[in-house]
Formats: sequence, structure tokens, C-alpha cells
Amino acid sequence: MEQEQPQGWSRRRFLGGAAILAAVVGVPLAAIRLDLFDKDEAPSERQRELMRTVSQIVIPKTETPGAGDVGAGDFVLLGLAHGLEKSRTPLPQDAPEALTRHARKDGSLDQAAWLEAELDARAKGDFLKAAPEVQAKWLTALDAEAYADGVREHPWRTVKALILTGYYTSEPGGSQELQFNLVPGTYEPDVPVTPQTRAFSSDWTAVDFG
Amino acid sequence: MDFDAIVVGSGITGGLAAKELTEAGLKVLMIERGRNIRHQQDYTTEMKTPWEMPFRGLGDQEMYAREHAVQMLNRHFTEYTQNHFVNDAQNPYSKAEGTDFNWFRSYQLGGRSLTWGRQSYRWSDYDFEANKRDGHGTDWPIRYADLAPWYDKVEEFIGVSGAKEGLKQLPDGRFLPPMALNPVEQHVREVMQANWPERRLTIGRTANLTEGKGERGQCQNRSICARGCSYGAYFSTQSSTLPAAMATGRLTVITDAVVEKLDYDAKTRRITGVRYLDRSTRERKTATARMVFLNAGAFNSVHVLLNSASEAMPNGLANSSGVLGTHIMDHANTLSAIALMPGFEDRTTTGNRPTGVVVARYRNMDAMDGEGHTRGYSFQGGALQSTWTAGKRDPGIGAELKQKLQKPGMWRMVLVAFADCVPRATNRLTLDPKAVDADGIPQLNIAFAFGKEERAALAQAKADAGEMLTRAGGKVIMGFDQPGAGGTAIHEMGGARMGHDPATSVLNKWSQAHDIANLFVTDGAQMSSSACQNPSLTYMALTARAADAAASMLREGKI
Repeated sequence: MEQEQPQGWSRRRFLGGAAILAAVVGVPLAAIRLDLFDKDEAPSERQRELMRTVSQIVIPKTETPGAGDVGAGDFVLLGLAHGLEKSRTPLPQDAPEALTRHARKDGSLDQAAWLEAELDARAKGDFLKAAPEVQAKWLTALDAEAYADGVREHPWRTVKALILTGYYTSEPGGSQELQFNLVPGTYEPDVPVTPQTRAFSSDWTAVDFG
Repeated sequence: MDFDAIVVGSGITGGLAAKELTEAGLKVLMIERGRNIRHQQDYTTEMKTPWEMPFRGLGDQEMYAREHAVQMLNRHFTEYTQNHFVNDAQNPYSKAEGTDFNWFRSYQLGGRSLTWGRQSYRWSDYDFEANKRDGHGTDWPIRYADLAPWYDKVEEFIGVSGAKEGLKQLPDGRFLPPMALNPVEQHVREVMQANWPERRLTIGRTANLTEGKGERGQCQNRSICARGCSYGAYFSTQSSTLPAAMATGRLTVITDAVVEKLDYDAKTRRITGVRYLDRSTRERKTATARMVFLNAGAFNSVHVLLNSASEAMPNGLANSSGVLGTHIMDHANTLSAIALMPGFEDRTTTGNRPTGVVVARYRNMDAMDGEGHTRGYSFQGGALQSTWTAGKRDPGIGAELKQKLQKPGMWRMVLVAFADCVPRATNRLTLDPKAVDADGIPQLNIAFAFGKEERAALAQAKADAGEMLTRAGGKVIMGFDQPGAGGTAIHEMGGARMGHDPATSVLNKWSQAHDIANLFVTDGAQMSSSACQNPSLTYMALTARAADAAASMLREGKI
């Protein structure tokens, strides 16, 4: 059953914006189903813009589109809301206040709200208004902190994992940046790697266990 | 009588029983508790790309936690395959205190034949003699020679690809051409053989066709089998046994029908039929037959027998021995070692081979060299390359990260141990005295724990796996020596064991109840020991053998 859409969050409006974006960047957008958000968990427009920007910094446009271009930001928000990458796991009892202040009703961290606050704090203002190279510098610092020695869990890891998923499971990420072949027909066990070799996003074993 | 035979269940053994019995000239009813799934037409996600899926193949984890809390732990359970697994909330079972058991189930036409791992191995006399040799469980009333011709028959029908190795402990079969090892696996095989001649790594023997077979097409190396395969390239009820049985014109199939119990006539000491709930109409109905084959899946077949208790058989049907429900097993299963394998960076693969490798058992064969255990373990796994998902684990963002993830990643080799599970009376199924399901049927209660033997086997397996991969030039980065929860191997079996003695076993050597001549149980429930090989091929061989015997008995008026 389709759920009621929250105010300011209509499917029509989203698809209209998406079509414009697709025309600008020239790539097919992976449609994220907005009806899959619970009414009280729909992200704000600013969170969508922030996540699009952050996704684009993590996987930028090169010869192929970037993660923001292909809608990975919206996928991240959907994934966070629906427990992907264990995003709905309750925060531990001793979680710092910097996290608990962004707890959802079920005790899990609202990573989108946390990221918004975290990046604005680093920007000492509006992260989205900073220059792209400065945004990238702040995000690089955050990434380094999240993967520093001894750090086992960090909300940025969850967000980053979903950015990568959103990108490499999109059509441009999966079939232009990487190769995709749903029906290979044959298995070639020993193929030389050349400078032109690109991995297959349809190598399911690698995706699952790599 | 409505039918000559009723087959309860339509999975790997139910489908085969229906095929064998109808081809023997019998009029057969096959009853399936789940919904109908039509070959080719109902594999709704088969050709979907990730970008066509709402959650990109990962699924709605929040919904899974509510509805599929157990099934979501199965690595084959994804957004593409979720409709091929049960809803746990609607199909509850209970567990004894201290039991950690994940029961992975598929209630639909075809059952788990749609989702199985397809690994198909013969057992050997090391396995059929295991109970007699170390005193655990009860001796099998059959040996490898009894089953060998039935393995032949089943392999030729289902199609098993594999390489002949001449191993006593893992007998060769009637194989289709093998799939190929990749360079890392080939290297590990050679190192293993040079250092430990008794240890053999070979390509997995899998029920995927490397050559077309009748109406069934050759494997397309997609390795997305559990979505359903319209090519019919792996063995399933839909691709193989159901068309064969239907072609006889003697098969009737009913779906959405839950068998609650079997009707037993104490005067004739025969089953007269089955009682079932028609889920679409909510009516309770009966069907009658001259004999019944129980193929509901090991635990559900036992469930039906326990739930069929009557005044004449108050402890459950065919349970004069009192062992019904006991000695259940599942392979003790863990990731023994994963190693980075440097030196192969200039090689990769294309296509998705739908099998891994197997290292045949080598412990406790002619020499008892197990440390703290008397049975065997084998490894499955393979060499694979990492891909973009590795980016989740490592620091880095930006163009450099994107460039790195564009290339095939580091090779790694994985060895997962499957250890023989000792049959124990304390590991058992009972009817929960209080809890019932939505249909009012008592829930099955599972009491299960691995013991010191399985833990000892996995400890030795971990040491061996690490040593082998290190010798092959690998850098071991992880390994475990403790089993996962019971059920992890998805090889749950036992509960209606086969044996010589009616006082200590439920079934005789024909998979026929000692107590009731026209009752056969030919799924995993009949197993008296577990071996360490995947069991489905053996279930099928036993089913074909039992069906042949049952049809003869029926013709001869013996049942």
C-alpha cells in the first residue's frame, strides 16, 4: 500500500526535479521510490542536497558520472531509513552525546541528521555554501577519523558504505564505470588483466565476499 | 482409495518421489504447503538488474527484521530471492532453552530445490560405517554398494558436473564435464598435493548443467540460481522432476495445502491417507492413498509424524521405538581460513561460475588421526577477487578511490569447514506443548547443541586450513574454530533414523517405517549419520531406491 506523502515531499515534485537533473548531467537517474520512506522519517530538502553533494565528493564525476549525479544521495537516505548497513541498530548505552542527540525513536542514530550537524560544525556554518575543495578537505578529514587505527565503528562508515552501494548498483556506476553482464554465458577462469580491464559489478561473489 | 501414493512435499526429494512413482505406473498426489511457482513464468526477479530493485538487491532490512528474522541470516536470502523463503513471523517454531538454531525454509512448489546450493556428493563407506565404528548413533542398514546404482541413476537424471578424482572417501559419479578452477585454486591444489598427497582440492560437484540436457539448457554462468532459472540449467523440481512426473499423466499437484497429520488404521496397521488444511478456502480436507511418502523436509516430516499421534500410537506415528524426533543433526560449519593470495594480480576471470571448490575429507579414514574427534570434515570455498564493496572497509574518498575500485581487487582464498555432526539423542524435535501456529497446529520445538567432537573437528580444520593456505603463499587474515548456530549449514537432518532394529530406529533399509508398511520417509529425516558431504544427492538416491522398492511391494501386494 502506498503511504501518504509528507508535506513538501511529493513524488511528482521529486520526479520533476530529477528529470531536470538528469537532463543537466546527461545520465539516467536511478529512481529511488520515495513512497518507501515512512512519513515521519522523510529527509528534508537540505539533507537531500547535502547527501547528493557528499556522494559526489566521495565518487566524483570523471569520464563517468559521479555518485551524486546518479541519485546515490537519495539511495543513502532510503537505506539509512530502512536499516541497510545495520543503520537501525540501537546506539550503545555509553554512546557520546554528539550521537545520542541525533537518536531516532527506536534508539538508532539518525545518520543523516548527524552528518548534517557534523559537517556544518566543521564548516562553522553552512557546509553547502563552502567551496567544493574545502568541502572535500573536511570530508577527507572525517573519513580519516572514521578509519583511524582502533576505530571499529563510526557513522561515517555507514554513510560511505551506502554511497558506494548507491553508486555501483546504479546503471551508470554498475555498467559504465564498471562492467555489467547478467548473462555471461561462459566462464573464463584465467584472463589477463590489462590497463583497460574494469571489474564486473555483476560478479556477485566478489560483491558478497570481496 | 483416491491415489496409489501421496507424496507430502514437492522439494528435492518430493519431486523425485513423484517422478519415480508416476514413472513406475502409479497414480500420485503431490501435496505442497506453499504457493505454486511456475517454471519460467514466476521467476519474477530473475532478469532484474540492481538498479531495477527498490533496495538495489539488498532488500528492506527493517522489514526483514520484522518478517524474516531467521531467513535474512541466510546468505542466499536477498531482495531478489526473498519470495523464495518463508515469512518467519507467519511460520514460527520454538527452541529449547539454550538452543541456537536457525531453520532456513522455503515453503513453495519446489521447496528448497529452488534455493539449494546444488553441491552434489556421494557418500562413501567411511560414512555409512561411521556409526558402527565409533559407536555413536545406530548402524546404517545399508552400505555404499546398496546405493551406488541409485546415485548413478539420479546423477544421470539431474546432471552433475564434476571432475573424477578416484577418491575412496568421495566416490566419483556419472559426471558432466567439470567447471574450471581459476589460477589461484589450481595453484592451491598443486601445493596441497605436493605437500599432503592425501588431500585433494577439486572443483565443486554441482547440479548445474555444463551441457544441455533434453529441454534443459546449459548453465549460463550467471550464479544467480536462487532467483529461479528459466534455462532450467540447475536441478530443481520445476526444471526437472515435475515435468517428468507430469509427462506420465499420472500426477496431481495440490498447492497451498498444509498436511497436518496422517490417518492411521490400527486394525490394518496401515496409513489410509492424509489430512490437510486448504489454505485458500480454510477448509480441512482428506485424501486417501495406498501408501504415503513423507518428503516435507527433515524437520517437517518428523513434525507430521509427531502430530499424527493417536490412541494406537500415542507417542507419534511409527514411533514404537521412542526415537522419533531424536538424533537430529546439522553439519558444524565455520569459516576456517581466509587468506590474501598475492602473486596473481595480473589474472582475473569473466563470468560467474556457480560453484566453488571442495577439499575432500582426509581425516579419520584408515588411520584415526583426528584430534579429539572420530569423524571427518571437508572444506568448501574458493578463490575470489574483491571488488567495489572492499571500498567500504578502507579509508579514502574521491577520484583516487574511484580509480582503485574500477579494477578487479586482491585475490583471496576462502576455506569453509563442514564437519560431521555426531548423532545425539538429546538433539531432538518435539511438539511444543503450548505454542501453536496461525493454523492451530502445534509448533515444532528444536533442542540442539553441538558437542566437543564437532568443536574439536573445527579446531583441527582451522589449523589445517591456515597451514595449507600459508604453504600456498597466502597471508591468513581470519579464521574461526567455533561452529555457527545449528542450521547454518542448511543440512538439518535426522529425526526418523534408518536402522536394523525396530526397537532403536524408525525406518528400515528401504526408508520404510518399521511399524507401518505403507509409510516411507525419504527426505533428510531418514539419516542416521551426517557425514561431512552435502546430503541432498544421498537423499535423492535413497528416494529413488525407496520408490522402486515401494512400487514393487505395491505391485506384489505386500503393502
